[in-house]
Amino acid sequence: MTDPNHPHAPSGTETEGFRLSRGTLLRGAAGAMVGMSPLLAAACGGSGGGGSGGAASTGGSKPVRGGTIRAGFVGGGTAETLNPYAGVTPIDESRVQNLFDPLFVQNPDLTTSPGLALEMNANANATEYEVKLRPGVEFHNGKTFGAEDLIYSIRLMAKPANFASVPFVAGIDLNGLKALSPTTVRIPLKFPDADLGANFVYWNTWIVQDGETDFTKPVGTGPFMFDSFKPGEQSTFKKNPNYWVTGKPYVDALTIQSIDDNTARLNALLNGDIDAMAQLPTPQAKAHQSTGDITVLIAPSPQAMMFYMDTTQAPFTDVNVRQAIRLIADRKALVDSAINGFGTVGNDIVGKGLPFYNTDLPQREQDIDQAKSLLKKAGQENLTVLLRTSPIFPGFVEAATLLAEQAKAAGVTIQLKQVPPNSYYNPSLLYLKMAFAETQWPIPSLKFFYLQSLSAQAPYNETHWKDKSWNDLLFKAIGTTDPTAAQDTWNQVQKIQWDQGGYLNWTNADWVDGVSTKLKGLAPHPGGVLGNYLFMNAWLTA
Amino acid sequence: MTAVAEPRRATREASPVVAFLVRRLIGALLALFVASVLIFVGTAVLPGDAASVVLGRGATPQAVHTLDERMHLDRPLLEQYTSWLGGFVHGDLGDSSVGLAQGQKHAPVWDLISNQVKNSVILALVTALFMIPLSLGLGALAAVYAGRAVDHAVSIGSLAAIALPEFVIGSLLVGVFFVWLDVLPPVALIPPGDNPLSHPEKLVLPVATLLLASLAAGIRMVRAGMVEVLQTEYVQTARLNGLAERWVLWRYAMRNALAPSVQVLAQNLQWLIGGIIITENVFAYPGIGTTLVTAVGNRDLTLVQSVAMMIAVVYVFLNLLADLIVMLLVPKLREPA
Repeated sequence: MTDPNHPHAPSGTETEGFRLSRGTLLRGAAGAMVGMSPLLAAACGGSGGGGSGGAASTGGSKPVRGGTIRAGFVGGGTAETLNPYAGVTPIDESRVQNLFDPLFVQNPDLTTSPGLALEMNANANATEYEVKLRPGVEFHNGKTFGAEDLIYSIRLMAKPANFASVPFVAGIDLNGLKALSPTTVRIPLKFPDADLGANFVYWNTWIVQDGETDFTKPVGTGPFMFDSFKPGEQSTFKKNPNYWVTGKPYVDALTIQSIDDNTARLNALLNGDIDAMAQLPTPQAKAHQSTGDITVLIAPSPQAMMFYMDTTQAPFTDVNVRQAIRLIADRKALVDSAINGFGTVGNDIVGKGLPFYNTDLPQREQDIDQAKSLLKKAGQENLTVLLRTSPIFPGFVEAATLLAEQAKAAGVTIQLKQVPPNSYYNPSLLYLKMAFAETQWPIPSLKFFYLQSLSAQAPYNETHWKDKSWNDLLFKAIGTTDPTAAQDTWNQVQKIQWDQGGYLNWTNADWVDGVSTKLKGLAPHPGGVLGNYLFMNAWLTA
Repeated sequence: MTAVAEPRRATREASPVVAFLVRRLIGALLALFVASVLIFVGTAVLPGDAASVVLGRGATPQAVHTLDERMHLDRPLLEQYTSWLGGFVHGDLGDSSVGLAQGQKHAPVWDLISNQVKNSVILALVTALFMIPLSLGLGALAAVYAGRAVDHAVSIGSLAAIALPEFVIGSLLVGVFFVWLDVLPPVALIPPGDNPLSHPEKLVLPVATLLLASLAAGIRMVRAGMVEVLQTEYVQTARLNGLAERWVLWRYAMRNALAPSVQVLAQNLQWLIGGIIITENVFAYPGIGTTLVTAVGNRDLTLVQSVAMMIAVVYVFLNLLADLIVMLLVPKLREPA
């Protein structure tokens, strides 16, 4: 993803979408109650609708200065945090992305541009990097951003308590970090990584100031400055007048509002209490697309929604069974009904649109005959399996129900068991113990997903995939500096997963949000909800 | 318990009111003790914990263990219970489990919820302010016109409303007053620190929802009491003596019909606390209900326990208050046995 020699610095023109990725790591599980979205339904917002692609953008007119943008998100109660390295939900992300800046900014086309880093150059075998930082950037307290801030940030990210950021810096040799000049840092690695920059795009790796400890009054370099924070209620931010992107932001202030109930959030938008709502439920998105009283913002994204099979638990130990289940799925039907068409069909490997995604593999289609023959080969005709689902994400239960229906054609009985959201991702209860279940992943980069879920040390190895030679191949792909050779190796890595893996990736789900017709400048962005939180690009018309 | 012993001594020669109060107070304390045990055990057996929720997929056994230690979850249950209850009695609600799990040194529950408690109390008081006179007035109206159209209208209307859950009533009201008529806001977002009373228009629909969902019981009780009293001989006598009907109704009938109604009204107020939890969520009102719902999802046990205990205290207090009012209304109860 990151080209270390990317020539463009964000120019600050309003058309330039820059800024980081999103895709919240879905950690933890949260309880849903009385019709309120669980803490983490937030974390993904899988509901989408409407058929991908066409996004109702809100640009057009000339930017107007002044005013306050008020945005409503599913709140996290007392769990809301301003710590970029421990946040998990979109509301946490919304604040981090406006207070801080990344080294590299994810563009709407999933490429990256320089952010706080101008360039990041590797040595010949990609075991050491030199980062050149953007000069002249000031923190909100007037301090100049420099090498020590980056070094401090990386060390803070690596602290075990900052569980969200740890995976991104796990390959860095912390003791070897060195400031070569006030704007140059040397980053030595534990293993070759041809694209270290890709690790510094996701919001859990944005840069804080040297010495920051508790984030009660966070100081960043971002477009908005901290003003107030009441967890579970509201937080307010003021425009950073010295922001390094010239002319941004347009508005004077930003208010982030916690509104848990989906209907209440939509009502608040319709009444003008807020100007933007994250995660518009699919049916409402459909309804309001036609009325035009609000703008429905649809952003195709690599957010993956999947079924997964534990390759170490019978009957999924047999690759024929896994492939049969994958062939049973009618993905188009799943997308159309479970998420109302707000997504594109998945092809069992994740990260469509991202660098190194394998585009050579054919789209896997439903093939009941082939599935039957594979099951016969495995001696598993009339197979009965248990699929655990949970309403933790919109679309999960619907997708599971439909898959069970589709399986009947192949003589497979899928028994559904709905389990409480709070146990679904809880490792002490069910997570990583289920033979057949569902999951959602943000995919900031292929490397991120594979290291987190399939590598030998993967902490979230949902499919319990263990294959020494495949693991070697993965690290070879990560460490290959020649782009063509790297693509070739990445293709092999993905081909093996496509042929043998335990994931059934049925959709790349869109982000679907609602925006007031008065709010302009927010453009759909694959990185996250509400145009990837880029409120600095937005303005209010009368 | 010394606080109890003192009034007990006084009761020997004191009025039955005090004796009654003392008995009730002891009962109340017992009830609260039982409630505290139930709340503590109930939350302790909830699957999952704040550590796992906050850490999520990253909840390795070691990480969970470290956090359990910080939150004292590794201590025996009895010790956790006594330290929690001891703190509560002294006004220390403890630290939010989630706050600690996120690595904060202190995250006092009270600081996190004080604003919401204030907002909820205001919502409850405003509702009560309307609920009591409306119950009495409509109940009396139905009684006076018992069996006639007005009675049917009041009874059927209130029963229909109570048959619907709050979120349905709330949605219906939003449908009518926002979507259709567009005269009232569909959400009650109150900026932190603002007094909800300074945004009266935002309170209308939540209060109306709570009233519709709660009035029926009070109305029915007042109506039944009044109908009965209106048929008694002393009311007939009063009427025959030529007293004005209004005077008869309020001075004779209402006062006597009130005693059984007070208990029902108290129950209604208690019920209000439960209704508020759902109603707040429907209207995104920043109160304790919204906080409690999220806290349960987050497994913020200390917060849930403390809020639940506060609710129990309010319940018991309202019961006590109702008993006292009944006692003052019914002279017979005030005489020595």
